Amino acid sequence: MNEAVTTVAPGDILSPDERSHYRLAWLSTVDHKRIGILYLLTALVFFVLGGIEALLIRIQLAVPNNHFLHPDTYNQIYTMHGTTMIFLVAMPAVFGLINYVLPLQIGARDMAFPRLNAFSFWLVPFGGILLHFSILAGGAPNVGWYAYAPLSETPYASQAGVDYWVAALLVLGIGSVGTAINIIATVLCLRTKGMTLRRLPLFTWINFVNAFIVLAALPVLNAGLVMLLIDRQLDAHFFVPTGGGSAVMWQHIFWAFGHPEVYILALPAFGILSEIVPVFSRKPIFGYEFVAGSSVVIAILSLGVWAHHMFTTGLGRPADLFFGIASMLIAIPTGVKVLNWTATMVGGRLRFDSPMLFCIAAIMQFVPAGLTGVSHAMPALDWQTKGSYYLVAHFHFVAVGLIVFAILGAIQYWFPKMSGRMLSERLGKWSFWLMVIGFNMTFIIQHFLGLLGMPRRVYTYPDLPHYTWMNVLSSVGAIFMTLAALILVYNIIVTLVWGKPAADNPWNAWTLEWATRSPPPPENFHRLPPILSRRPLWDLVNPDRADPVVGSPNDVAARPDKNKVNILAFIFSEIGFFGILILSYLYYNAQRPPGPGPNELNLPKTLIFSACLFASSFTIWRSEVALRKQKQGGMIAWLTITIVLGTIFIVGQGMEYFELFEKGVRLSTNLFGSSFFTLTGFHGLHVCFGLIAMLILLWLAFAGDFRKAGRASLLEAFGYYWHFVDGVWVAVLTVVYLLPLLNR
Amino acid sequence: MTTSHFFLTAWSWNPVVLGGCLAAILLYLYFFGWQRGILFLCLGLAIVMIALASPLSALADGYLFSAHMAQHILLLLVAPVCILLSLPRDLSLTTKANWLFHSGIGWLSGVGSMWLWHAPTFCNAAVSSRPIYALQSVSLLIFGSLFWWQVLAPREQDRLSPLPAVGYLFSACTACSMLGIILTFSPVRVCAIYMQPVDQLGLLGLIRDGWEMTPEKDQQIGGLLMWVPMCLIYLAAIFSQLVRWFSPPTPALRTTIVSRNAL
Repeated sequence: MNEAVTTVAPGDILSPDERSHYRLAWLSTVDHKRIGILYLLTALVFFVLGGIEALLIRIQLAVPNNHFLHPDTYNQIYTMHGTTMIFLVAMPAVFGLINYVLPLQIGARDMAFPRLNAFSFWLVPFGGILLHFSILAGGAPNVGWYAYAPLSETPYASQAGVDYWVAALLVLGIGSVGTAINIIATVLCLRTKGMTLRRLPLFTWINFVNAFIVLAALPVLNAGLVMLLIDRQLDAHFFVPTGGGSAVMWQHIFWAFGHPEVYILALPAFGILSEIVPVFSRKPIFGYEFVAGSSVVIAILSLGVWAHHMFTTGLGRPADLFFGIASMLIAIPTGVKVLNWTATMVGGRLRFDSPMLFCIAAIMQFVPAGLTGVSHAMPALDWQTKGSYYLVAHFHFVAVGLIVFAILGAIQYWFPKMSGRMLSERLGKWSFWLMVIGFNMTFIIQHFLGLLGMPRRVYTYPDLPHYTWMNVLSSVGAIFMTLAALILVYNIIVTLVWGKPAADNPWNAWTLEWATRSPPPPENFHRLPPILSRRPLWDLVNPDRADPVVGSPNDVAARPDKNKVNILAFIFSEIGFFGILILSYLYYNAQRPPGPGPNELNLPKTLIFSACLFASSFTIWRSEVALRKQKQGGMIAWLTITIVLGTIFIVGQGMEYFELFEKGVRLSTNLFGSSFFTLTGFHGLHVCFGLIAMLILLWLAFAGDFRKAGRASLLEAFGYYWHFVDGVWVAVLTVVYLLPLLNR
Repeated sequence: MTTSHFFLTAWSWNPVVLGGCLAAILLYLYFFGWQRGILFLCLGLAIVMIALASPLSALADGYLFSAHMAQHILLLLVAPVCILLSLPRDLSLTTKANWLFHSGIGWLSGVGSMWLWHAPTFCNAAVSSRPIYALQSVSLLIFGSLFWWQVLAPREQDRLSPLPAVGYLFSACTACSMLGIILTFSPVRVCAIYMQPVDQLGLLGLIRDGWEMTPEKDQQIGGLLMWVPMCLIYLAAIFSQLVRWFSPPTPALRTTIVSRNAL
């Protein structure tokens, strides 16, 4: 047993030097551990805010015909509650845990891009402040966290709240994409020797898979948000039916993001459960391969079934049928995971410390959460219950019952590692039991309220039979949950000041984060145990009963170049963004809207400047070849030609815009104008960013930076980006300029 | 005509299809002899028959876009799988045309044939002209085989390694979903010829009134078939790749297996 030798005083997160300037040490940090803690603290602050909003909602709904809150205030509060809890609590909390734990689990020194990491983090408080600033700027958004068009459009929501909401979500979305890119690059490039992909701890593996859903889903939301913002600020018509736009289109875009978003939050919870349950059952996880593989399947399935959120919009029977069945399929890999966790517990020597208690409760609450989810995959039932509290109960069972419980378990589990001190087990159990009782009291009854017909999103209700006592019960439950949260915060504060020191491996766990001090030194590890299986610390302590070697014993695979991985992951995310813009262009122009159309475009001129852009793909490649042959002059010359060609393209596009303006074609003219300028404008923006990047590269080249060894990958990585921008233009040219020729 | 009558009578015993299938079995026996793989070949050929000789093909022949789509999926994504699985495990096809077995070509032939044959011009042409229809069917089988070769080639070293294969399949799934989404929600008819079918078999009454299948619904189902079930085929393949990835490489390395009892 490795009941480690450490009984010394706990280490500190800050070094003695840093203590004198602790504010700067925290604000300017690029260390993944501190950023992880900052993420978690930010999430905690917003959790308190979102919790207060939830309490206000429950006070308002405690009795019928209540006038505690004005109807509009109620709308603002439930919008803020939803947005805060998802984007400012759950996502930062998950990212905080990943930030802290993931590099440690793979034996890395830090994330692949520490400064990008800090940037992604600081976007969270920035986005949060932006969102809450709307309160001072004329009222918080009041259109729900889904902001259904056209109610979120200017004619129906003229105050600035929705604009702040859009801006905040864009900021947060960009931060999330940055984090996801960082996670992928970290896992692929920074694994220590021996940590092959097949030996990854499940928390790391699942979050690695999850990062891909973030990259696929968040840009879809970003595309929808910019379209909504352009609608609101520049009078375009994407989602305004009076201008020919489609309100259902917003729902498609929003739920194409919104459904995967559920899994973006649920998969890390699965990762946490898969990490904690085995440790507290003293057994390896049952069916590692299935848990790991099914996460990939869940991730992919989650991207394709958003239409089940839209049964009530009238997609048509065939669509309802297909999406009903496809949605039910998700229950299979997810349901079997529940069996994996239970089978891990069967026959194990269970230890019921508070991390395990939270996880067991999460599994038990996830079962009904999933089952009510399957019931929503049936269109007929969905039509009846969608607008009711049955749905509210369902998604709170997922979001709180599974996700928040798992996160709380994870905090209890990794807190000793983060702070070097043990949370009070007694207070932990108090907060656990209050949370379980409060949560189930609040939300079980809401299923029945919903089935009785109580509609959601409405600020009050009449005094119908059973409504009152059920709502009172629900509100009392909320008080229990508040108490639990207060105890948790108290526990954290008391522990940080007086808590008893934690050993390096207080839970006798088996993954690498427990192989270093608590809290870890800035460099994370001084020495790592040999890694031949998924439980290196078990092998270390039990050499005679070591786990079977996973894969071939020698880890010979080279780690890929992190610059290239970064750009490829970024391109992956951009495909989603441009995909939405191109699909909406096709949709909005399929039936020629009245007014100007593709006929106004000047094809010959466009072909000339397109040729320049395509040629620049060739020249950037020549530049890479020259660099590889160590010909600085050639590299600089080809790079300069690329910049010139790119500039010609931008100037050409500018001229085309000018001609169209002369003819009176604007964003606000009709749907062609809206979709044309949005699509080509964002492409042009990407060309401009590429030009700026090339100017920087040119400057670096003149400064002699590329003479150093190993810098070539920088230029090659940029080359990927530039080829991608060209590739997007191939698609735009085909769809916007060439396709209409067929129909002439 | 009633539904059951239609399904009983609408089999077309096209001699070219039958002859082709028979020739395939004979060729297989000539080259590889009698082995278990032939069962897969027969299954594959049965699927080809369903696609080309059954009532499905009668419906696809100008009546229903969705039937055409089902036919398309069977020929591109299902039949080639069976045919590749039937090949002996040590077969390699090293020819001068090695570029044919490049993963980029495989991807393009799988996804490209899906997109290309649904461009309005080609889609209409394939329905109205017999030779183009034949060309389409054969090309789907060939392109489908090239696509699946990357994943199901008989020899391990000819296949993509598991994780790249997941990317290969996922991107193909996404590209086909995009087309499926366009077909499902497009306000215009993509394959106009299905709007006013030439009623050679006297089926139109049954389809429009008996099955309540309007042209709009028909295209929607076609798009959904391409979007959802097709993606599930890719997904099943992805799952098989994950199984392949996690399965232990060689038994020799598992000598260190020890008891996994609880502490």
